[in-house]
Amino acid sequence: MLSTRLLTKRYGSLTAVEDLDLEISAGELFGFLGPNGAGKTTTIKMLVGLLRPTSGTAQVAGIDIMAEPEKAKARIGYVPDAATLYDKLSGREFLEFSGDLYHVEPRLRDRRIGALLKLFDLEQRGNDFLSGYSRGMRQKVSLAAALLHDPQVLFLDEPTVGLDPQSARQMKDILQDVCKEGKTVFFSTHILEIAERMCTRLAIINHGRLVAIGSLQDLRHMVGQDGQSLEQIFLELTGSREEDVSAVLRGLES
Amino acid sequence: MPRLMSGIDVGLLLWRAQFRMFINQTLRSRKPGRIVGTIVGAAIIVLAWAWEALITGVAVAAAHRFHAQIEVAHLLSLAFLGYTAVLVFSSLVFSLNALLLNPDLDLLLAAPRPVASILAGRMVLQVLRLFLLSLLFTAPALVVLAFANHNPLIPIVFSALYLLYPVFVVVIISLMSLLLVRFIPAGRGREILTLFGVALAVGINVLNFLLNPALRDSGFARRSLPLSLPDIPGASAPWLPSGWAGRSAAAALGGDWLTAIGWAFVLLAVSAVIFTVGTALSGRLYLAGWIQAVPPRRRKVAARGRRLRGAIPLLSPVLASIVIKDWRMRTRDLAQLVRFAMPVVFLFVIFGLRFPRLLSSVQGLGAGPAAAMLGLVPAWVLLFSLSLSLGLSAVSLEGQSIWVYAASPNTTLRFLEGKCWSAVLPTGVFVALVALVGESLIRPGWIWAATAVLLVVAQAASVTTLMVGIGAVFARFDWTDARRMMHPAGVFIGMALFAIITGASALLLAISLALAGATHFPLITTWLAAVTISVGGGVAVAALGLLVGNDHLRGLELG
Repeated sequence: MLSTRLLTKRYGSLTAVEDLDLEISAGELFGFLGPNGAGKTTTIKMLVGLLRPTSGTAQVAGIDIMAEPEKAKARIGYVPDAATLYDKLSGREFLEFSGDLYHVEPRLRDRRIGALLKLFDLEQRGNDFLSGYSRGMRQKVSLAAALLHDPQVLFLDEPTVGLDPQSARQMKDILQDVCKEGKTVFFSTHILEIAERMCTRLAIINHGRLVAIGSLQDLRHMVGQDGQSLEQIFLELTGSREEDVSAVLRGLES
Repeated sequence: MPRLMSGIDVGLLLWRAQFRMFINQTLRSRKPGRIVGTIVGAAIIVLAWAWEALITGVAVAAAHRFHAQIEVAHLLSLAFLGYTAVLVFSSLVFSLNALLLNPDLDLLLAAPRPVASILAGRMVLQVLRLFLLSLLFTAPALVVLAFANHNPLIPIVFSALYLLYPVFVVVIISLMSLLLVRFIPAGRGREILTLFGVALAVGINVLNFLLNPALRDSGFARRSLPLSLPDIPGASAPWLPSGWAGRSAAAALGGDWLTAIGWAFVLLAVSAVIFTVGTALSGRLYLAGWIQAVPPRRRKVAARGRRLRGAIPLLSPVLASIVIKDWRMRTRDLAQLVRFAMPVVFLFVIFGLRFPRLLSSVQGLGAGPAAAMLGLVPAWVLLFSLSLSLGLSAVSLEGQSIWVYAASPNTTLRFLEGKCWSAVLPTGVFVALVALVGESLIRPGWIWAATAVLLVVAQAASVTTLMVGIGAVFARFDWTDARRMMHPAGVFIGMALFAIITGASALLLAISLALAGATHFPLITTWLAAVTISVGGGVAVAALGLLVGNDHLRGLELG
């Protein structure tokens, strides 16, 4: 459903993503992890066609995103990390607009909007301007817009940021339901607990390079210690050292 | 006193931060375009300074020769009084912006400094800005005056006045703003500021038109009036800051440095008192109440039949959705709505108030193409405003939401097509209405009127499309303030191309009239030929602009 070959993005001398190889099947809930600045958002933006790779290829639903971007995008749903929406549109109007952009037939669009607003508990606020929405509500509208055209692959960049525990749980349930329908969900997150509980497979990226990929069990084998939490694996693979942090903090005190 | 000193310290800190940001965004940006732009901008300023110095030099020489009888203290007091109006407006906008919109207020208030010193810091920053702006505009003239009068005191006294004079206005306006923001929710700040700006601009224009004696008569009658200073005796009153500043400045120009310093000292003392009291009051006012946490506004939805349901005849759903979405954005956001409303308001101010005289003079031409062309003038003025404001901003209107398009399965050309429709439809409708009204009042004959209206509608479509293309080339997606949506270079190029296209069009039509007279061809034949060429040329330029804009947009990474 989703594959990349030697996908690379460079900004001048800075390499944001280097030689990324991924192979993700239909129905997978794939977690993409990495420290700040590791290249997660850049990778997602390349996969949804917002950034052009410097080299390498990426295929979504069997379609090359660079060669046939419109065709590929029709099969993609995308939720950015901090979705900037049109403040002066209501939630419902934004979804109508989004449906039209994705060529959803008007009757079907309206039916789906009704269902999605209900699903995300936004029925009562659907006609209010987005400027009055909280961050979590905006996140929900973004996800509803991403689901509206029934995409085959859903990309989410930090989808749980700004959500209250109830909404985060709701989001997890929805994403798992989406996967059960045979669609692929690719999401980045900092919250390792969510990734640990939800994902069928995980990838860890650091300094633009893929350092690990597989199920949680595969990752445990990789670091050679069964029973470790994802957090411990993550810290080991990304080279974060607690003793360094303590030393710096002690230095600040003196 | 510690709060005061801390306030000055915060002001200088903010100033340093802003200066660093300016340098980082220009000379240290490592972007050749920006660096070149900065150098060109600096060169333009130097050229303007040279021009100002030259003009001042000529004026000084002329003044020595003619010995004009002008009361300098009154003239300079008037200048400072006029400057007060500028200060009031800019300070109000600055203060409300600083309190309602600037995201750094929370950051500053979280710092371990008294609230009063943070607010005083904002005031200091505003005073410093105004001081530098005053110097930017008048420094060359002051230097020339110092040389011409062999009096180095002139720039020093004027600089001191520039620094001191804004203090009382900035402090008073800041205190007023603090009272005002208790009633303005942060979410409506931008709209209220815009509305205030519009009301002030329209008010000043209307008042100027109604009260300015220079506008009571027109043409040669006005020129025959003797030159005189506006009669505002209060301006130089010895109990007003404008009077102190005017007297000090006049004394400096006359070489009487004791008087100059004396009046400047009065201004300094009063400014210091006002700043001290204002700082203490501002902290208390701020802490007294801050109504920002208003609940979001709930909307009443229009009846289903009246709502735009995402369909426009003959337009595909994608294009229709862009047109409708843009219409909603422009009509719901006051800052955007002003782009619609201002041209119409100014059209009324320019033509409406003098309408009877203008109409009778055009009707005097009788029927024919010349009268039809003159009837188009209001429509052309409106076209100029609307095509620039709607066309140039059409692409940038998306701002940071551009990702919605970029992620959707549509080409950039499709997006631009939608943007063209969203700008052309309202522009075309308004321009056509104004042209119809103009032609029906002038009555140049139905054939001339009909072709003239057709011409201006076709021009509206082509020129606005061209502006959309230019707007795509100079698109800005990182704006947070609607006033910064349009790139100055894009506006300049757009205005130049508008002048060229409409000028060429008018020239073609004039040639067609002359040609008919010279060759005895039927006038309608040459006129229609000129209209056709004019429309064709406009369409060709617009298509070219659109292609260039599309090419540029395709090259961008709109993530």
